[in-house]
Amino acid sequence: MSYISNITNAVGTLIEGMKVTMGYFVRPREHVTLQYPDEVWPVPSRNIGVGELDAYNTIRSKLTVDMNDCIGCKACERACPVNCIHIDAYKGTPEDNLQITSNGTQVKLLVANFIIDMSECMFCDLCTHPCPEDCITMTPDYQFISNDNLKTDVTPEQRWRDKDLLIYQFSKVSEEERNRRKAEADEAKKAKAALMAAKKAAAEKAAAEKAASEQAATEKAATPEVSEETARAETEAEVIKPSQEVSPAPEEATNPINVTFHEKSSAETETEPAQPDVVTEKPDESEDSTAKESENG
Amino acid sequence: MIQSLANWILSFDILSGLGYSISWGLSLFVVSALIFVFVAVNAIVLVYIERKVSAFMQVRLGPMRVGKFGMLQTVADALKLLQKEDIIPRMADKVLFIIGPWTILIASVVTFAAIPFSETLLAANMNIGLFYVVSISSIVVLGIVMAGWASNNKWSLYGAMRSAAQIISYEIPVGITLISVVAVVGSLNLQTIVQAQAGVGNLFHWIPIPLPNWFIFHSPFLFLAAFIYLIGATAEINRTPFDIPESESELVAGFMTEYSGLRWALFFLSEYANATLVAFLVAIVFLGGWQSPFADYQGAQVALAIMTLTAGMWTAFVKTKVGRLSIYPLGLSLALTLSAWLFPGFAIWLASPGLFWMIMKAATIIFLLMWFRWTFPRLRVDQLMYVSWKVILPISIMNLMGVAVWMWLTGEIQF
Ligand code: SF4
Ligand code: SF4
Repeated sequence: MSYISNITNAVGTLIEGMKVTMGYFVRPREHVTLQYPDEVWPVPSRNIGVGELDAYNTIRSKLTVDMNDCIGCKACERACPVNCIHIDAYKGTPEDNLQITSNGTQVKLLVANFIIDMSECMFCDLCTHPCPEDCITMTPDYQFISNDNLKTDVTPEQRWRDKDLLIYQFSKVSEEERNRRKAEADEAKKAKAALMAAKKAAAEKAAAEKAASEQAATEKAATPEVSEETARAETEAEVIKPSQEVSPAPEEATNPINVTFHEKSSAETETEPAQPDVVTEKPDESEDSTAKESENG
Repeated sequence: MIQSLANWILSFDILSGLGYSISWGLSLFVVSALIFVFVAVNAIVLVYIERKVSAFMQVRLGPMRVGKFGMLQTVADALKLLQKEDIIPRMADKVLFIIGPWTILIASVVTFAAIPFSETLLAANMNIGLFYVVSISSIVVLGIVMAGWASNNKWSLYGAMRSAAQIISYEIPVGITLISVVAVVGSLNLQTIVQAQAGVGNLFHWIPIPLPNWFIFHSPFLFLAAFIYLIGATAEINRTPFDIPESESELVAGFMTEYSGLRWALFFLSEYANATLVAFLVAIVFLGGWQSPFADYQGAQVALAIMTLTAGMWTAFVKTKVGRLSIYPLGLSLALTLSAWLFPGFAIWLASPGLFWMIMKAATIIFLLMWFRWTFPRLRVDQLMYVSWKVILPISIMNLMGVAVWMWLTGEIQF
């Protein structure tokens, strides 16, 4: 008898299932599909419980910096646990026309370069709190597909594939100006370093001579000429060493973010002759590989 | 159709010098091309409809971005498939790998030659039409086994073997249910089978509800046989819930695993050609083919029939808690009813075009198949065999005997 009951049971449950699907079929207006670029989910405006400002109470997503207020204090750069903020600030000159911020602070530094690498940012919100001017803030904009940030001639697809396109530049200083400032600062630094090295060398020479004269005074049995010469050679070797360390000073070469960002400017303006080969080849390779990937895909 | 086309070509003065055989060959070519174009366009349309139906049943939207409501999506997909790289695996059996999909496609397209689309639209009026359709469509399994074997891939081979076992199992109940119809008509000619369903009669011969003389209303046994045929045919064309030969979750698409580009598109084409064929066959054998459901009613009766039909639909909708939408069928039925009362010519128009009714019936069956597909879970292999050999086969054999007894009771045959 279970044979018959099995069959009737099967038919009954099948009809039941068909009723369910038909019930949904005749209601095509109720759908869960989101026509993404045309419609987006509303961003929940929940309170994350930090501070009174609206900017702190939204969801944590894309960062933004109000460059009119930034004083270049680098507090945010130091706070970031993953080191994805990079700031170059140089001492302002009268022709920079530095403003007063909305908090009433006089801006003294020209923020020539303000980069946030959004591909590394983990949206921890730690950079926004130390800012004395409240100018670096989280926005609820979670759509990184946009053309209005850094480079305007890229498609959204490229932006996703190419990591460089997630590096957001906030400062409005032009490339030439930035490079000029950088070169000036580098030269100033180099001069300072050379000065320091010379001072140090002089001090060390004096110390060495003093030591040598003391030695000569104590060891009268040995011939004085030979000992003096060897001592001078030793001190000269010591003196040359620190000055060699100082002179090239390619600080940006050790920093990958600066490298990827500066390669274009160095290739165009030729203001930085230091190691352009290493710098330019790297992104080309990555572009090729992405192009190959896209072809395969 | 071929002969009339050939005669029509010869009726022109310029072309009359061609001679009958050349003109006949020309018409043969034209008709086959027509059928192939029908199959191809049909597949493109059905894939779109299937996506939409599945989407609506799953509370989604389906394709929306290519063309209005995504209507050009399948065209775009077809173009993409044509451009794709055609890969033949290195270890595959090249010859079989290439002829496999073509075998399947040819077997499923060629069957359309015997299908009467309307009173006159029929490529070949065969006296063994039904037998021809059933036997030729079985060649599909040969192509599937070829493709599965040639792929040299264990999934493909499993899929092909399952397909063979399944089709062999389900051929028998399908054949027997079709024989029960043949027993009533006494002919294998599909056109004769359609013509035997003309007119209006009582439901199941005695129950006084005037319904068309379709075989599904002929007797309780043929009513059951229609559903058995539908189940068996679903299994034969490898559609869910009987899609174990190509089950994506276990066999990675079965015999299609190694195929790409155009050859894969051929599988798809034949799949939908087969589904359409089954739908047409159900329509012809059980639902009166190109006969209009209102053919032998008067205008007032047409109105009454539409009213009854929609009232039934309406109650069904109310029961599924969708009262809001049911206003549309009701309004449509009122409009149709009114116009059928006022303009008897409209009722006759509703009754006339054979192709329209044929396609409407086939579309209903295809929708039913899609409804099955997006509702039921897939059967296990042993369940599949159980259903075939222990449930459907005994029932269909008893059905055949029941049909004979019924005909003796109603006096359709005498001994
Ligand atoms: S949110 Fe966190 S990770 Fe992102 S920039 Fe700020 S401190 Fe760095
Ligand atoms: S902490 Fe604020 S003011 Fe200071 S550098 Fe960062 S964004 Fe500018």
